[in-house]
Amino acid sequence: MIYSILSSGERTEKLNSLLVGMKGIAGADINIVFFENISAIVCDINRIKLVADQSNAIAYAGVIETLAHHFTLLPVRFGSVMESDAAIIHMLKKNYNDIQQNLLKVENKYEFGLKIFCEPEKLKAELTAKSDANAKTSTSPATEINNSVYRDWVNKKLKEHRFEELLVTYVDSVISKIKGDLDQLKAINKFKKIVTTSMIIDAVFLLDKERKDLLVETVGELQNQHAGLTFVLTGPWPPYNFVDFTVK
Amino acid sequence: MMHDHVIDRSKDITILEVLDRVLNKGVILTGDIVISVADIDLVYVGVKLMLSSVETMEQIRSGNPIVEK
Repeated sequence: MIYSILSSGERTEKLNSLLVGMKGIAGADINIVFFENISAIVCDINRIKLVADQSNAIAYAGVIETLAHHFTLLPVRFGSVMESDAAIIHMLKKNYNDIQQNLLKVENKYEFGLKIFCEPEKLKAELTAKSDANAKTSTSPATEINNSVYRDWVNKKLKEHRFEELLVTYVDSVISKIKGDLDQLKAINKFKKIVTTSMIIDAVFLLDKERKDLLVETVGELQNQHAGLTFVLTGPWPPYNFVDFTVK
Repeated sequence: MMHDHVIDRSKDITILEVLDRVLNKGVILTGDIVISVADIDLVYVGVKLMLSSVETMEQIRSGNPIVEK
């Protein structure tokens, strides 16, 4: 099984010493498969033991995290298995250019996650109140319809639709503010909007390691400016979300 | 009490973040993935996460954002 592909360069002794005594999933020894200046970090594992449960996932993440402190690496998705060292070398050779490009992209960088939560009912009330104050007609959208059941249903749907629009506009404004404030960090970012009713933003950032403290400070300021929201910053992570390629 | 709620949720978030990354992200090897999926217990809290929660509490007290992991 392959844990990660890393840029070992000429630091093979360092890599070897780091892996001495390190155990992976199910207590398996960790080994290295070299190809030129890159290496695959692997272990032999009985496939029967390869279950995607929580303890295995954490053991897997632990190996990658330890290595990431010392080397630029590309995490490989859990459960990636190849038959032999020869097959791994063939894979490294065939994908050498893609691997090198991705390693270059994440060199000396950390990934961070930012999740932003709201209290759904409170936010709904705030946004709706603001909207109603701006447009009084919105409180009685379908009064021309005589049938009361149908009118109520239409009004309910219209209100829901209006709230969704308000929420998207609000979330976009928060994202815009975050992007503006993080501009100075030159971070690569990815945003997902309205993941659940309470998680309105799920973002990941890739930025230079030395800018970590500035990120924490900036997110702290953003939190202070958005009292009704809860900002949860996680990291630093190995660059799981920024290795966008499929090995052939 | 609100802080306790935040900390509890942060534990879950951290473990979910680990699982999401390990199982869903990273380099993909085509055609050779052999895993089976077991039930994932989201209330698990490892030693590392317990330590992290203490740090989280300190950060909340000091007025800084929550930094997990």
